[in-house]
Amino acid sequence: MKKYILIFLLGVTVLKSYTQTLVSGIVTTGAGTLPGASVYLEGTYDGASTDEKGEFRFKTSKTGKVILKVSYIGFETATREIDLSAGPVRYDFKLEEAFNKLDAVTITAGTFEAGDKKRSNVITPLDMITTAGAVGDVYGALQALPGTTTNGESGKLFVKGGDSEESQTFIDGSIVYAPYTTAAPNMSVRGRFNPFMFKGTIFSTGGYSAEYGQALSSVLLLNTNDMPAEDQLDLSFMTIGLGVAGTKLWKTGAVTATLSYNDLSPYMWVVPQNYNWVKYPNTAEGAVSIREKTGKTGMFKLYGSVTKSRYTISQEDLNQEGKSYDYALSNGNYFVNASWKSSLGPKWNVASAASFTSNKDDVGYDSVSVNKLLRGVHVKNVFSYPFSTLITLRFGTEFFSKTYSLDLSTSEFSKANSFTNNTTSAFAEAELYASSKFVTRIGARMEYSDYLQRANFVPRISTAYKVSKTSQFSLAYGWFYQDPTDDYLLYTHLLGYERADHYTFSYQTSQNERTFRAEIYYKNYKDLAKLNSEAFYLSESYSNTGKGYATGLDIFWRDKKTIKNGDYWISYSYLDTKRDYRDYPGEVIPGFASKHNFAAVYKHWFGGLRSYVSTNFKYSSPRVYNNPNSEVFNGEHTKPYRSVDMSWSFLFRQNIIIYAAVTNIFGFKQGYGYSYATRPDLEGIYRSASIGPGASRFYLLACFITLTHQGEANQIDKIE
Amino acid sequence: MKTILLTIAVIFATLNGMSQSKEYYTAMGEALGQYANCKSIADFQALGNKFGLIAEAEKTQWLPYYYHAHCYIIMSFMEPTDGSKKDSFIDVAEKSVDKMIELAPGESEAYALQSMMYSARLVVNPMERGQEYSILSAQAVGKALGLDAGNPRARFIKLSNDMGSAQFFGKDPKEFCPQASELLANWDNYKVKSPLYPSWGKEQVLQIVNGCK
Repeated sequence: MKKYILIFLLGVTVLKSYTQTLVSGIVTTGAGTLPGASVYLEGTYDGASTDEKGEFRFKTSKTGKVILKVSYIGFETATREIDLSAGPVRYDFKLEEAFNKLDAVTITAGTFEAGDKKRSNVITPLDMITTAGAVGDVYGALQALPGTTTNGESGKLFVKGGDSEESQTFIDGSIVYAPYTTAAPNMSVRGRFNPFMFKGTIFSTGGYSAEYGQALSSVLLLNTNDMPAEDQLDLSFMTIGLGVAGTKLWKTGAVTATLSYNDLSPYMWVVPQNYNWVKYPNTAEGAVSIREKTGKTGMFKLYGSVTKSRYTISQEDLNQEGKSYDYALSNGNYFVNASWKSSLGPKWNVASAASFTSNKDDVGYDSVSVNKLLRGVHVKNVFSYPFSTLITLRFGTEFFSKTYSLDLSTSEFSKANSFTNNTTSAFAEAELYASSKFVTRIGARMEYSDYLQRANFVPRISTAYKVSKTSQFSLAYGWFYQDPTDDYLLYTHLLGYERADHYTFSYQTSQNERTFRAEIYYKNYKDLAKLNSEAFYLSESYSNTGKGYATGLDIFWRDKKTIKNGDYWISYSYLDTKRDYRDYPGEVIPGFASKHNFAAVYKHWFGGLRSYVSTNFKYSSPRVYNNPNSEVFNGEHTKPYRSVDMSWSFLFRQNIIIYAAVTNIFGFKQGYGYSYATRPDLEGIYRSASIGPGASRFYLLACFITLTHQGEANQIDKIE
Repeated sequence: MKTILLTIAVIFATLNGMSQSKEYYTAMGEALGQYANCKSIADFQALGNKFGLIAEAEKTQWLPYYYHAHCYIIMSFMEPTDGSKKDSFIDVAEKSVDKMIELAPGESEAYALQSMMYSARLVVNPMERGQEYSILSAQAVGKALGLDAGNPRARFIKLSNDMGSAQFFGKDPKEFCPQASELLANWDNYKVKSPLYPSWGKEQVLQIVNGCK
């Protein structure tokens, strides 16, 4: 009996396999037939791949109605219900290109993005570290990109004809009120943050999103690293200081604690300096960084640092011949930055960020003592909601509070001024993809300041259109508002916001790891704050009657392909700008602007030598400066800025890196103009002193050691 | 009679179930047999599609996901120049690797393949991705060896990672030759759990050993 049943059942199976239906067809896309696509009946093993002609054919023993499915990388999966009961089925498919944000067109007008999420990036996080002239300074690395002008006596960012105060830095979404170290007048500063903290950088030189306010010229958005991979101990020994960092992981989080101490005394004893140091600069810093995963998608980040630095330098007193005074500076900086990102349900996403800054400068010179204190708080919440894969809405609120006080005392008098400015703002922005070729970002932002008692409203719009697989155009337009400089707000609240309107048009083409990019822009400055009399302490001395413009052309060419193991880029910027602001007598070229800026950067990996070598040449055409002895305001010209810098990283072991860098190898003479006495001497002449770098060259020798359980990780990206 | 009917019902049910898993075995066996015929990216893509189809039909078997990802990882290694193509192949592989690890979190082979996938990512741009992906790859293969220290594929992946990084850092990769010979000599001593389990790799190790001569 059992035997019979078995035979019977086998018979059924055999019979079943005889009733097979042929399924065939052809798969095409907009560009022609598609070989290699997978065509199958859903939930079964029956299927085939398309051949070179895009054709498929397979037999199935299934009957009735089934779903025929076609899939291929980069295309939307297509389905079709077919009926197998009516004999052979032929069905042709035309696949639509899938929308993938990583490959879709992106807004490039005014934007340089470094991060590994988008693969079409022009610069990478490694560039922020390995650009020779930067010597580990985030802002220094950006100065090899188009749109920026190097101001040797400042070190800060000057973007597309904008003053350095017009650029803002944000870490994980919240503002950094004191991004630079403090220095004596006409001495260069650096960024406070180690570039290795960041995994992604977006540098926007204009036309940025409505999410960012209080910046007339540019925003630098730095995103910190996520979870570290393993426990490790990093040690660094440099000619200018020592550092140690320890990282400990737990199941859902990690903590990194860093201590560093830099003292330039030994270095400055050996290498001749131009400045007369009385006490060499030293800096002590402690920082803690915590990461904690929250829920399935969330990540909480906290970073806190305490930095103390001081030095004393002897400067010539231009108002009194033969006299000099000691300029003593001590700076204390406390910074806390927290952020939390998570999804709220299947669609909503939230990003919250907060920062706290306290920056205190105590300056003493001659018989004057100046104490400056800046306290700032920024809180921000951003929500985003995708209506579909093509449309995303983002909106958020922000609160900024800034208190700045300046206490000045001399042997004769003392004066204390301060102000507190609370700004509330909100923004909304929609990103609309018409297809993977065309995107528009449209947004608006409003702000209200209780100190200025004014509100502003700005529209921003940008678009990008891909004309071919490799080329695209991008346009950006927007209004940008910023509070007037803190130095003016100390004495007046009668000023309104300063404004700039940006028009940016850019073209970018990349293929085979070669990228060419050209951008033209026009910026219209309005309502710039002006000081109209010498009585700076009177609130009536100020007005919003300044104005100006900046227009230019930026060119960028990068090629990672032509030279094996080599990578170079060339950047050129042309800038035409004039402005009437601050105490300028009329519309003139500002002192921070260079007409021509050029940078060439070359990097090479020598495998046999285990070495990564980077060199760059930078040139900025002469800038103007004002000589009060001359009739013409800003009528004098500085020398051009020229520098050839080089760095060399040598992987002694996989976990030991030796790094050497030298700036201005050829010792080009650098002069940044002159500073003048505030009043004329007995002969009616304003006495002067030239402004230049602290030394004609800077040398750095360092050794970085990483210790892990595996003993393999290294600090290749920890070159400072 | 009742018992007979019950028996028939039981047998029927069993046979039905068996025929489904038989279909799985047949399809997998057939697809695995085609590995040897794959010469080009298109061949591996067609084979990968086959495994993808089985994976989607079965949903709870990790092995079809394993081979689907494996084919796409090989494709990324075979693609000669185009970095974004390489990445798009690995994107496909990564989805299957994630599903596979979800289905078989205790499988040494699963982590070995994950390690190979991270190495494929690294190879696209060693200069920029080296730091991140060398650690990820090392961690994954470490997990694989932790689960089964004798897994020859995990050992092969670790070996080729070590040789690759030695070459990148300008050291002589030949210092790993004794390891390769030892691995090859003992290859057949490793008992593969079932005929559908991964068993590839001997040829690759043989190539390394030949390169050492």
